[in-house]
Amino acid sequence: MTVARPVARRVPGWVSPTSLGLSLAAVAISSYLTVTHYTDPAALACPDTGIVNCTLVTTSSWSVLLGVPLAVLGVVWAVVMTALTTPWAWRSAARWVSGARLVVSGAGAAMVLYLVYVELFRIGAICLWCTAMHVTAVCLFGVILGGRTASSHRVPASI
Amino acid sequence: MSKSPSGSSRPARPTTNTNNKNTKNRTTTKQSTSDVRPGSKSSVSSDAKAKPGEATPPTRFRSRHPLITALVPVGLVVAAIAAMVVVKAAGTSNPPASASSHINATGGSSGTGDTGTTVLSPQVVAALSVPAATLDAVGSPSGDVLPNKIGNGSVLKGADGKPLITYIGAEYCPFCAAERWSLAVALSRFGTFSNLSGTHSSDSDEFPDTQTLSFYGSSYSSPYIDFQPVEEATNQPAGAGYQTLQAPTAAQSALVAKYDPQGSIPFLDIANRYLITGSSFSPQVLQGLSRSQIAADLSDPDSAVAQAIDGTANDITAAIAAVTGNQPSSVGSSATIAAIAQKLGA
Repeated sequence: MTVARPVARRVPGWVSPTSLGLSLAAVAISSYLTVTHYTDPAALACPDTGIVNCTLVTTSSWSVLLGVPLAVLGVVWAVVMTALTTPWAWRSAARWVSGARLVVSGAGAAMVLYLVYVELFRIGAICLWCTAMHVTAVCLFGVILGGRTASSHRVPASI
Repeated sequence: MSKSPSGSSRPARPTTNTNNKNTKNRTTTKQSTSDVRPGSKSSVSSDAKAKPGEATPPTRFRSRHPLITALVPVGLVVAAIAAMVVVKAAGTSNPPASASSHINATGGSSGTGDTGTTVLSPQVVAALSVPAATLDAVGSPSGDVLPNKIGNGSVLKGADGKPLITYIGAEYCPFCAAERWSLAVALSRFGTFSNLSGTHSSDSDEFPDTQTLSFYGSSYSSPYIDFQPVEEATNQPAGAGYQTLQAPTAAQSALVAKYDPQGSIPFLDIANRYLITGSSFSPQVLQGLSRSQIAADLSDPDSAVAQAIDGTANDITAAIAAVTGNQPSSVGSSATIAAIAQKLGA
């Protein structure tokens, strides 16, 4: 008698290390932003050229969401993404892991759109560290989509 | 109602305040079809070994270029960001007119449905961040009334230890209407506003219906300064004066009593180092202009509006930079601001 059990999809070999690397980069960036948020926002290593002004962005009223600094939310998001992009998570046969990975990374990309809007149209300044976080989030979303698509978009064709 | 040379006296104070496959059969087999990577030996060999007449029909897989498929949503995200950048760039050079920034010009009559304030359009808010090159091109026009140096050199700080900027004005006051533009442009170099609203001066005072913004209900955050604005009254008549909006704190009243016993508005105290009472330019330059027109002119250094508003904003900026230790560096490193600071005796 055979026992039905889930089987993990296999993704291209580059997906796991790339996504994990991006997640860890996101953890590092968001951690740096969080530390400076609670210590000295003006100490961010960032040029101040008018349109580029990290301090202006990270201390604006939009830097806090429902009382929680966005930098902290960034750390939480990055840690969750790191957990979802470990080799063990990629080997997991649980469908919710794959789903959560897609949803969380997608939410990150959507948040990037909102934050870019806020920087450009509400604050009028760009934070380079935030931009690095945005690039990381969008790339992570792309890698996860690529991995998911590579493992699922293989359809049998009759000969 | 008596006025200072370029200011308004306060109204009689009312007693109350208003205020986001083939689906594999997930059973039994360890090496599933979906476990086989495209082009891998196992998938290729299964196809290669297939012979006609075999019981199990061979299966061949084709790839749909997964990376390209994945790039579509990512491309949409990137395209959306690029579109925002383009719109921003276009908006900075020429802020578009916006219906939401236009207020009923009939002013304070209650019958018009004009409540006196309206949401300030994002384009007008964005225009307050005047490019540094424009501000430098305007400089400090010779006719500007510079901030007066006051105090003993000590810097008045707010509760969070940052230099305190105190503004007292009223929405009905045309001189406040003019000065607010400059103050908002200057303060936008040190921090960010949220929830600014649009309003206009009284329609029955001098320079009627001067279009402006209101600090009432707004918030301002900055790593360099603490800004505390007070809008004492609306532009809606009430009795002999106007409806009361906010009352100064005891400390703010003490500042007024000390530095401007006449009580003229607008009153702008820059950390007890510099003082401006009354408007630094005539509201006449704003007459007949909508907020969108004023906002558009801010980025044109040759316009009369920019000469008046941006010029005064530079003066205020230099005074504020003097109390922030020339921070941020984008302000402190400006030769224009440094030159004005010299004139201010900073």
